[in-house]
Amino acid sequence: MTEQEATVVVNDLSLIIIVLLPFIGALFPGPMIRAGRNSCAIFTALPTALSLIMLLLLAPSVMDGQVIAVELAWLPQLGLSVAFFLDGLGLLFAVMILGVGLLITLYARFYLSGDDPMGQFYTFLLLFQGAMLGIVLSDNILLLLVFWELTSLSSFLLIGYWKHLPEGRQGARMALAVTGGGGLAMIAGMLILGEIAGSYKLTDILLQGEAIRTSEWYMPALILILLGAFTKSAQFPFHFWLPHAMAAPTPVSAYLHSATMVKAGVFLMARMWPVLAGTDAWFYIVATTGLVTMVLGALIALFKDDLKALLAFSTVSHLGLMTMLLGFGTPMAAVVAVFHIINHLTFKAALFMTAGIIDHEAHTRDIKRLGGLRTLMPVTFVIGALAALSMAGIPLLNGFLSKELMLEEAAHTTWAGSPYALPALATLGALLSVAYSFRFIGHVFLGPVRADYPHKPHDPPFGLWVAPALLVGLVVLIGLLPHIVEPLVRVAAGAVTGGVLPEFHLKIWHGVTPALFMSAIAVLGGAALLAIHHPLDRAWIAARRPEAKAIFDSVVGGATGLSQRFTQLTHDGAMSRYLAIFVASTTVLGYLAWRGGGLPAATRDLLPVPPVVLVGWVLLLVATGSVVLMHRDRFRALVVIGVIGLTVSVGFVYLSAPDLALTQISVETVTIMLLLLALHYMPKVSPVESSVGRRIRDGVIAVAAGAGVGALAYMFLLRDTPSISEYHLANSYEGGGGTNVVNVILVDFRGYDTYGEIIVLGIAGLIIYAVMEALLNGPAARKLRNTDYSSDRSRDRHPLMMVIATRVMMPMAILVGIYIFLRGHNQPGGGFVAGLVVSIALLMQYMASGFAWTQSRQRIEYHTMIGWGVVIAGLTGAGAWLGGKPFLTSGYDYFHFPPIEEFELATAMLFDLGVFLAVLGAVMLMLYSLSRIAHYAGETVNPEPMDYDPSTRSRIVKEEK
Amino acid sequence: MLPGDLSIIMPEIILAVFAMVGLLVGAYGGKDKTGPAMLWATAVLFIVLAAWIGFQGAGTAHAFLGMFVDDAFARFGKVTVLLSAAVVLLMSESYMARRNLLRFEYPLLVALAVVGMMVMVSAGNLMSLYMGLELQSLALYVIASLRRDSVKSTEAGLKYFVLGALSSGLLLYGASLVYGFAGTTQFLGILAVVGIDTSLGLLFGLSFVIAGLAFKISAAPFHMWTPDVYEGSPTPVTAFFATAPKVAAMLLFARVVHDAFGGVTDDWQQILAVLSVASMFLGAVAAIGQRNIKRLMAYSSIAHMGYALMGLAAGTAAGVEAMLIYMAIYVVMNIGTFAFILSMEKDGSPVTDIETLSMLSRRDPMRALAMLVLLFSLAGVPPLLGFFAKYAVLLAAVEAGLTWLAILGVIASVIGAFYYLRIVYLMYFGADENELDTGGSTMLRVIAMASAAIMVLGLWNLFGVEGVAKAAAATLVN
Repeated sequence: MTEQEATVVVNDLSLIIIVLLPFIGALFPGPMIRAGRNSCAIFTALPTALSLIMLLLLAPSVMDGQVIAVELAWLPQLGLSVAFFLDGLGLLFAVMILGVGLLITLYARFYLSGDDPMGQFYTFLLLFQGAMLGIVLSDNILLLLVFWELTSLSSFLLIGYWKHLPEGRQGARMALAVTGGGGLAMIAGMLILGEIAGSYKLTDILLQGEAIRTSEWYMPALILILLGAFTKSAQFPFHFWLPHAMAAPTPVSAYLHSATMVKAGVFLMARMWPVLAGTDAWFYIVATTGLVTMVLGALIALFKDDLKALLAFSTVSHLGLMTMLLGFGTPMAAVVAVFHIINHLTFKAALFMTAGIIDHEAHTRDIKRLGGLRTLMPVTFVIGALAALSMAGIPLLNGFLSKELMLEEAAHTTWAGSPYALPALATLGALLSVAYSFRFIGHVFLGPVRADYPHKPHDPPFGLWVAPALLVGLVVLIGLLPHIVEPLVRVAAGAVTGGVLPEFHLKIWHGVTPALFMSAIAVLGGAALLAIHHPLDRAWIAARRPEAKAIFDSVVGGATGLSQRFTQLTHDGAMSRYLAIFVASTTVLGYLAWRGGGLPAATRDLLPVPPVVLVGWVLLLVATGSVVLMHRDRFRALVVIGVIGLTVSVGFVYLSAPDLALTQISVETVTIMLLLLALHYMPKVSPVESSVGRRIRDGVIAVAAGAGVGALAYMFLLRDTPSISEYHLANSYEGGGGTNVVNVILVDFRGYDTYGEIIVLGIAGLIIYAVMEALLNGPAARKLRNTDYSSDRSRDRHPLMMVIATRVMMPMAILVGIYIFLRGHNQPGGGFVAGLVVSIALLMQYMASGFAWTQSRQRIEYHTMIGWGVVIAGLTGAGAWLGGKPFLTSGYDYFHFPPIEEFELATAMLFDLGVFLAVLGAVMLMLYSLSRIAHYAGETVNPEPMDYDPSTRSRIVKEEK
Repeated sequence: MLPGDLSIIMPEIILAVFAMVGLLVGAYGGKDKTGPAMLWATAVLFIVLAAWIGFQGAGTAHAFLGMFVDDAFARFGKVTVLLSAAVVLLMSESYMARRNLLRFEYPLLVALAVVGMMVMVSAGNLMSLYMGLELQSLALYVIASLRRDSVKSTEAGLKYFVLGALSSGLLLYGASLVYGFAGTTQFLGILAVVGIDTSLGLLFGLSFVIAGLAFKISAAPFHMWTPDVYEGSPTPVTAFFATAPKVAAMLLFARVVHDAFGGVTDDWQQILAVLSVASMFLGAVAAIGQRNIKRLMAYSSIAHMGYALMGLAAGTAAGVEAMLIYMAIYVVMNIGTFAFILSMEKDGSPVTDIETLSMLSRRDPMRALAMLVLLFSLAGVPPLLGFFAKYAVLLAAVEAGLTWLAILGVIASVIGAFYYLRIVYLMYFGADENELDTGGSTMLRVIAMASAAIMVLGLWNLFGVEGVAKAAAATLVN
């Protein structure tokens, strides 16, 4: 082994230009097509040639062991830079890409017919070429990723070029799904690699092999990167996309699917070889995958009748061979891999072009319809036969050399403790490879001339065969004089292994080695296999074997079905399900929070439970349970809800919160009354719409959430927590001039809040009014009119007793309201409660005597009342500005007018008046709106306060007399 | 206290006053005849305000005793929100007008929602947070059911409202717990308390606040409303939902976790990471089976929020920066995609079935190409801008030690790529040709093309967003 001298890094901007040229060039073919097909092709070849020349100018220094690099800043925060470097491996691939690119440009010029949009084709081709160049020259793994996916994208466009072919569709989709997905997976692998190495520069990462291999993230990174490489290079089990992508025009197949794109995966493995290779994981994953792919690909290729499919599977097989060699992890195997990359490129591209020529001339690629072309197409025959013989590994052609070396490497590699497994399988792969190569020659060119070609074939024009001829020239040249490529192989392999190279010489004769025997077995066995191809073929066709397309389709179908089932399960459009998910998730979240935080010890003791409280508690529980049980019977549920509300207010009284109790009672009463009114026009029962199972599930979720909230409250009640109450108690009298802290909070400390709230209440009242207006002019009104409510109707709608009682109670209730209002500032009460009390008094009148009767006695418009309330409250607040204080600061003073005792007047009272008016107006407006429904529902207007009035009755009786 | 404070929130005041005056003009003036004029006026005002905030703003200022913060972070959010809202408004004009939906309330409600969003991104206090959030949400509830005569639209609005109200309640519950245990609603005050002692109450509060915010950004498992609302709302409204509110809510999210709970990164990092993974996978998996492109975009947005959350979960300045970049790019992609969806018509009436896109490339190659670029970008395929967005958050996650999260994110993106590519596949290789109308309004065409062009050209330097985002993130995380 020789250590190469330390690499010299030379900066050269021309690298950037080399990569950019194809991209810039891509702008031209589109417009140039108007100037004719020739100029279009020339303008495609021009940037490629320029790029190639510049590259060749740099080549000598690279061959001397220098590394050419260039770096420009680009989004440095994201670790991105435009960095390229050219070493042996990069040079090899770049020359291949550009060289074959030139040949393909030439070939496509004659291959594409006049109807094909050639400008578009060349544009995509140049884009692809630029992307490929980017991959092999990138010195930043993220830049590499960018170019990597750009090849997927542009290849998608190229494969889809012939849109009218139905098989092209499926091929394009599979190619895109597989390679695109693999590339995305690689992003994570690259990120991990960069993170371990602390840099995203490839040249830096390549020096960090030891650190990367020992990192705990080595395995994930390896798998993710290999996913990218295997999908791109069509390795088993991702091999299926490549043959299906063959629907693309032949120039594309030749360029993408044999020479360049599919080699990107191999390139990546070679590039990452110094950091990733050498571990057991690498050997077993990569070498095994390669081996399986090689044998499987060759086997399938033997039975393909479509020329391009045969070549496609043969490509898969050869890619497997290269992968296997890289997987061995030894420097010599890497050398062989590099050598085979060169050889495969030459013969396979030539073979694809040959297949294209045959297709072009004979109008078919079906081997079973061909044969005997040797005499009809002599030039094509020579080219195709030489290339195929090279593929078979026949001596004096370059394929022989690398295959021989491969078998040599395989011969002394132990796989899982067995020294025979690898050599045997490698020989089998070679044997199959010989068989299909011979079949390519034998079944296409040899044999009798047929009479039934779809089109009479003859040799194509010079332009079409010159490109493959050049390649075959190389095949023969390297085959005869292998040492001329030795420097290139040496420098490229040196780049792969990181400078450590074994002693080797490329030559034809290695002496009698195990590899020679294996080679001989392969050739003879291959020939024998071809001889019995017919019966084998029949058996193959009869055999049931997994069809990649069918598997892909069923996987896709299965995934779609699964996804649909999943969405059906979670997103069926039912609110109840959404709520269930929401509540369940929140409960889990709460549980996690509880798990995550430590709880200090309880600081409070439980209070003793007197019997009264226990009774109330049980009552509350029973009532709550009853609501759940009878919620379908809406009226009954409402009544029980009322019970709960009242119990809660009793609880407030017990816990010395009279204010809350008062508010609770009045709010409870008003809302229950309004709800009763509204419910009247709705169905009386809720129908059962859910299954028992779902109800149980919902019940479990609800109980869990409720128990969670309860537990939370219980936990907090057991502990002392800082509270804001002290502040309010201390400042209520001095700051707000009242001793009732709750009222002072409402009108002073939280004056803004209250002010906002009365506005909201007013708006709510107005909105109910407006909605009702819209509703009653719409379709709902018709429905109301057509519903028969007569059965609900009491015979005595306005009972005497109730009318009398409410009349008597009204002045008293209003007095109580005023009393509550006035005392509010210092004792329980206030504008809010007062407003509710008065509304209840008025509400009672409506209930007793009917809507119309009461309405006609109403003097003040409710809208106006709300408005006045808000205005008064607002002006009171603004009045504070006069005193130079902030909005809503309350002022107060004490007054003494004999004979009344001294009393206090606070601006807060005025504010409270506003609250009172707004509350009253809003509640009454809601009632008014609801009552209008009644009118539409056919409620008759009663002119009298009560249905049965004994006084009028007696008068009538008297008059009759 | 007032004059200085007022000048700090002047943009919000102007917009709010504009909306209210507009409402009066509309109600007492020409009613819906003023719709188009109102729409243009609103859009122009948005753009003017965005320019004003973007060019004039500097430094950090606090208004109303710290309730309202004007810093680089807030300005980033406001400019993004305003510009995206303006473009969405312009996009919607022809669609709304043709379907008789261009009521004057529409642009004004959007304006009010935008005011809410501007308050959200500037919130420095739980109160202003809630105020902004509710102003936004209430306006959005109404817009969702703008098409009153459509059952789906009404249903969408109702569902959104009920679930939204629930989430708001949850958020309030959390906020009151935080207030109870921190003794203040001020973010800075909470930060100070949290640093000293993290009580269980604060943790509960934080969890519930996060749940409420997760609902607003439609992160799984609080995402249920998204597909239904996206599908039911008129398409321009869907486009709006998918853009500006998401940015605002995401930025608010960042503010809460960093400004108020910056001291306990470990406690929320896990929650955010879980939300992120759940969103990415749910979005990716559920979208596969969708045939309606609006529902598909709903799942796509859920997945995207997962990625943005990943940046936030990193808990670092780089994470916030990545999240900001992500949101900016996300908005541009979505606007373009929705411009395309808006132009999907068959015989003059809108369609949303993905199958209708079959072979569009043959009938309208430019439009198909633009959509192809946008979809690849949404899938996060390099070299398009969407990749840089994803890459930034992945990088932030890896650097913060959340490598597992990044790997899961990539796996989800592989799954997600599948359904984006399905649309591309249909457009280029669809089974049979569908007579989707070609052309569409010029405005939509231009916006879709421009958005696609940005996806390509942006890789030059991301239009400098990166630097701005970095500065913005720096003001938030210190």
